[in-house]
Amino acid sequence: MNADRIYTARRPLLVEALTALALIAVPFVLPFFDAAPNTVNRILVWGLFGIGFDILFGYTGLLSFGQSALYGTGGFVAAYLLTRAGFPHVITALVIGMVAAAVVGYLVGLVALRRTGIYFAMITIAIAEVFFFVEFNPLSEWTGGENGLPGVPTPSLDLGFAQLKFTTGWALYPFLAACYFIGIVIALRVVRSPVGAVLRAIRENPLRAAAVGHDIHGYKLTAFVIAAAYAGFAGGLLGVMQAFMPPDAFMFETSGQLVMQTAIGGRGTLFGPLVGASVWLFLQDFLQSTLNLGATWKLVLGLVFVVLVCFLRQGIIGGLRDLYGLVRGKRRAEAPVVPTVPTPRAASGTSMPAHELPNGHTGPVLLATNLTKHYGGLAANEDIDFRVDAGEVRGIIGPNGAGKTTFFKMLTCEVPPTAGKIVFKGRDITGKSVTDVCQLGLTKSYQVNQLFNRLTVRENVAIAALAALRGKFRLDLLRGLSRVEGLEERVEQTLALVNLTQRRDTPVAELAYGEKRRLEIGLALASSPSLLLLDEPLAGMSPRERVETVELLKSIGKGRTMIVIDHDIDSLFELAERVTVLQEGRVLVEGTPDEIKRNAAVQEAYLGGVNGVH
Amino acid sequence: MDRKVSFLPRRRVLSAGLGLAGGLALPAYVRQALAADDNGHPPIGTWPEGVKGKEVFIGVAVPRTGTYAEQGEDELKGWQLAVEHINSGNELIRKISPKTKKGVQGKELKLVVADSAAKPNDAVQAEQRFITENKVILMTGSTSSAVAVAMNKLAQREKVLYVTGISGSNDTTGKDCVRYGFRQNFYGETAANAIGPVLLKAYGKGKKMAFMTPDYTYGHTVTKSTSEYLKEHGGWQMVTNQVSPLGATDYSSYLTNIANSGAEVLLNVNWGRDAVLSTQQAKQFGVIPKMKLVIPYQIPFLAKNIGAELAEGVYAATDFWWTLEDKYPLAKTFVDAFRKKYGYYPEWGAENAYMSFAMWADAVENAGTFYPPDVIKSYEAGRKLQSMVGEVYFRKEDHQLVRPVVIVRGKAPKAMRNKEDFWEVTEIVPGAGLMQKPDAFGCKLGEYT
Amino acid sequence: MITWANFGSQLFNGLALGALLALIASGLTIIYGTLGVLNLAHGAMFMLGGYAGYLAWQSSGSFLLGVAAGTLALGVLGIVMERLVIRYFYARPHEDQLLVTFGLAIVFVELVRWYFSSDSKTVQAPALLQGITNMGFMFYPTYRLAVVGICAVALLVLFLVLYRTRLGMIVRAGIEDSVMVDSLGINIDRVFMVVFGIGAMAAGFAGFINAPIVSLAPEIGEQILVQTFVVVVIGGVGSFPGAVLGGLIAGEIISLTSMVNPGYAYVMLFAAMTLVLMIRPRGLLGAKGRE
Repeated sequence: MNADRIYTARRPLLVEALTALALIAVPFVLPFFDAAPNTVNRILVWGLFGIGFDILFGYTGLLSFGQSALYGTGGFVAAYLLTRAGFPHVITALVIGMVAAAVVGYLVGLVALRRTGIYFAMITIAIAEVFFFVEFNPLSEWTGGENGLPGVPTPSLDLGFAQLKFTTGWALYPFLAACYFIGIVIALRVVRSPVGAVLRAIRENPLRAAAVGHDIHGYKLTAFVIAAAYAGFAGGLLGVMQAFMPPDAFMFETSGQLVMQTAIGGRGTLFGPLVGASVWLFLQDFLQSTLNLGATWKLVLGLVFVVLVCFLRQGIIGGLRDLYGLVRGKRRAEAPVVPTVPTPRAASGTSMPAHELPNGHTGPVLLATNLTKHYGGLAANEDIDFRVDAGEVRGIIGPNGAGKTTFFKMLTCEVPPTAGKIVFKGRDITGKSVTDVCQLGLTKSYQVNQLFNRLTVRENVAIAALAALRGKFRLDLLRGLSRVEGLEERVEQTLALVNLTQRRDTPVAELAYGEKRRLEIGLALASSPSLLLLDEPLAGMSPRERVETVELLKSIGKGRTMIVIDHDIDSLFELAERVTVLQEGRVLVEGTPDEIKRNAAVQEAYLGGVNGVH
Repeated sequence: MDRKVSFLPRRRVLSAGLGLAGGLALPAYVRQALAADDNGHPPIGTWPEGVKGKEVFIGVAVPRTGTYAEQGEDELKGWQLAVEHINSGNELIRKISPKTKKGVQGKELKLVVADSAAKPNDAVQAEQRFITENKVILMTGSTSSAVAVAMNKLAQREKVLYVTGISGSNDTTGKDCVRYGFRQNFYGETAANAIGPVLLKAYGKGKKMAFMTPDYTYGHTVTKSTSEYLKEHGGWQMVTNQVSPLGATDYSSYLTNIANSGAEVLLNVNWGRDAVLSTQQAKQFGVIPKMKLVIPYQIPFLAKNIGAELAEGVYAATDFWWTLEDKYPLAKTFVDAFRKKYGYYPEWGAENAYMSFAMWADAVENAGTFYPPDVIKSYEAGRKLQSMVGEVYFRKEDHQLVRPVVIVRGKAPKAMRNKEDFWEVTEIVPGAGLMQKPDAFGCKLGEYT
Repeated sequence: MITWANFGSQLFNGLALGALLALIASGLTIIYGTLGVLNLAHGAMFMLGGYAGYLAWQSSGSFLLGVAAGTLALGVLGIVMERLVIRYFYARPHEDQLLVTFGLAIVFVELVRWYFSSDSKTVQAPALLQGITNMGFMFYPTYRLAVVGICAVALLVLFLVLYRTRLGMIVRAGIEDSVMVDSLGINIDRVFMVVFGIGAMAAGFAGFINAPIVSLAPEIGEQILVQTFVVVVIGGVGSFPGAVLGGLIAGEIISLTSMVNPGYAYVMLFAAMTLVLMIRPRGLLGAKGRE
């Protein structure tokens, strides 16, 4: 349940078992603390509401202030069926409400997810307000307007041999506890599935997640729909619990309360919302009735919230976990901080074959014609013709401002060309998306590290490998990560290729710079690309690191097609068979390293005119 | 690291959890069945648990924050005074509930109070807590009809009696009526039927009217009842109905529309703070006194907040006004007692609160027990009670008190005898003729048990 | 009803609404533009300015003193807030910034509720500006007319500060590229602090100016906040002219929609915002790439 770990703990069902035990123990233990059953029931409903929200916010990083819209939708659909429409089965009505909320969530997600970060949050706020208004006004025939829908019945279960009637207070608790338990079990599976891993990648670095081949929009939408489903079911439970479905469910304050509870309890933990709700509701009761503070309880809560956001990023659960870690001391054997000198291994090109060329395509792997990019009046690239054959290692050099990075960006389709065409393995990829291009076998390692910072080395590579093994979008929500065929193998092979096997369980933040660069390359390698682009792989490295990295690249380059940009001309000339020189957006000259060294035009481009040729 | 996932434990855990959880339900039922009987009745709601001791609790969910906070605090004072009087066997209480000696059935009354902020959800949450923790034997509280309706349903489900606070919507004893709920005050239909003839007499026929309506069913009901009466009996024409959200602060766009509508009479159905703001801004936009202002459903403290100048000549329909002390001796006793304790003349919210408790005490004493179905039947017996506005009785078909509606008109500032003498009572209209037929609004009372 | 007379009146009314929104929004937009922080406490600060001014006005009887108090108190609060809290969040993800300002908003509202109670407080407009003005095509409260003028002057002052002073130039540069400004040797920390202070002052000033119109209550900040978002989004994030334009447009949307169906006035605002976010996310006058 720790959002930063993709691979599950050593004891797989511990969390589920503990949850079940705790839920069963509650009605026996809590009455000793004067806990009212209705408060406990409410906590469970908020907790369930929050599970979905935590998947959306804690795991995927999407802060939505609009969950109330879906909570209300599910709740009112279920309540309407059970009251006005006279539908007999409570549980079925709840499920229908959930489905309705999921559908609405899908439609809302299509609109809201077009934007990210703050704009996304703002759209969700607007949506929450609109839904509230619609419930109140145009649809008040169905929703009862300000009155809400009273008279929602409680569920009963006919087991054949016995009839279980769940009414109120402790009698309703088992039903709610069962719903919560099921909700947690499902959520845990989702979070431990490949989809869960991708969601976390999106939270850490959406740009890279897309670049390694995942359809991030599809996954975001999935998370949104999951959150909507949980919200809808919880909304229905609210109506059942109170015998009445209130319009407050749609209020923006409901969304706000959910966000605060999740942050207080701990985001990205699945149980955070439950803890947060406990804190909120118990504080509310305690401060209001016992201390007789009246309306001031909210001030105390607000202060607690601000303090937690400032100092305990992962809320109460995170704080407890840190405390636990502190008390137990670090047990993990640390790998040495200074990495041992890596011994370049022989290329294992056979075990990690490049993508199969379609129809046994012969001819150039990459053919770019007339490639041009203008930014307003500035011509970053002008009329570039470029060709790379299979198995080549090509270098690209050029003075600053020559347009090298822009060129790469066009090749990976991060940036659409103003004119020109790119053909990759015989297929026109001009105007495609980064994700599709990666899936076709073209990847890049970035000049500035684009890693998944809170994940470990192994998890980083796994994300890339998952895209290669599963395609750009797969809804394998309930499959365990360990059941993905070939994942372990591929991850180990990639780690071996970039010499990070010893550091596999280290979080990225603890890596040395050189190791991070290797991981950066590893991410691009994990999908076994047919064409690997490397944007300044040697940037910021010490001379010794350069030597090592060049050896590494040589071993990687065996049997692969690579294009490398770098400023370190000596190292590049060692590595590449052919070199292209760019200047001011155009191709200046192309040839072997020796030819380039002796070329007068190149010297002039770099040094602004030189006399005396070597 | 081998990661073999075994299925069995998971399924076992699931089923064990469910099984045990189901088993948990049993103790609750068993407990209930074994509870002591009283008079041979099985336990129901919070009875007889809640009346075992020397005290009985009453749960109050009232707005202490938000748009209706001022009115809520006033209501609360009424309940508190009533509890004080009942516990001490005060003379005033015994005039209304002759069988009362001290307390109710000898038990002392205690209030537990929570802030509802006029939100149905918060009110229900609080009262549910009161039921479980304090075993309240009676619930009250509402200033918004949304709360009253929600509380009606809660009362019926939990089998705990509920008397409304202020509730003006037709629905509370209309389509949302319940066996366990009772309403004391006047409402949209009776207000409209009472104030209609007065307006026609004062302003004549064929006028153009504009409405300001708060956007929820209380507002829509009152606007509908009032406009229909005036249209049908006086040929008045509604030229505009400006609907604003509850809690709106800026009425400029609505008032601009009204200013350009050609209306001659402005009927403001807004309530609480909304009424104060909208009326003040109406003056700022020149809408009043160009148009005549009418308040079809009066708000406690309105006149104090908008000032006597704005209130002058304004017609309003209300439940009670303190100058009725000149006409009804019980009113005088009440007003004196309230003033002595709180230092100001009571508004109709406080009076409503006091009366509802007094009548409940009467119902219980006449039933001789707290057993809810008997208390309900005691209410439904149609006993005539003495109140601050004369003789009243409950209608058994919909649990609505049959009582007069008071029409008031704002006094000119120089005619005020003291600084709270805002309104002049012009008419007291008997209730029976104002009410709809018992089943006209779709009331279907539920079960007794 | 849709008549020419009403149209004219509503058009004017929208101008009045819009002027106030423009002022508040300009504060929000320069904060977001320069610091990259969306201040969810902006509405609460608007409300606080009203109360701060109320205290001064009540004890002194002077409206001007109230205005000064509201503005300066919020300027100080803004600076303190930035130094004590916001500063530590620049490096943190946007979501954390939203959370902390959201929390602060709640704390501010509850503090006011605790100290002042939930009753609404009325502030009288200065005697000179009370009463009604006959403008020919409609009667308009004199004070609201004055507010249009006051807001226009305040916006002008802001404009002069932003476009005619050295500080303003630095702020505008910071909006475009704060990293660059930093590396030019200008103390970007101080700039951020000043910007937050200015933004807060705009909110506080507007809060007290608006008090005679709608009276003070702890909740007034919430509604204003959402409307301010809409203005900022429509006009373009980080753009001062955008805030002005967006404010006027938003004001007109509210008043003109209410001509047709008053209930839908505020919903139309949200619809407009969503539309802009879908089609042209940088707003009408915003800089590209600010998402």
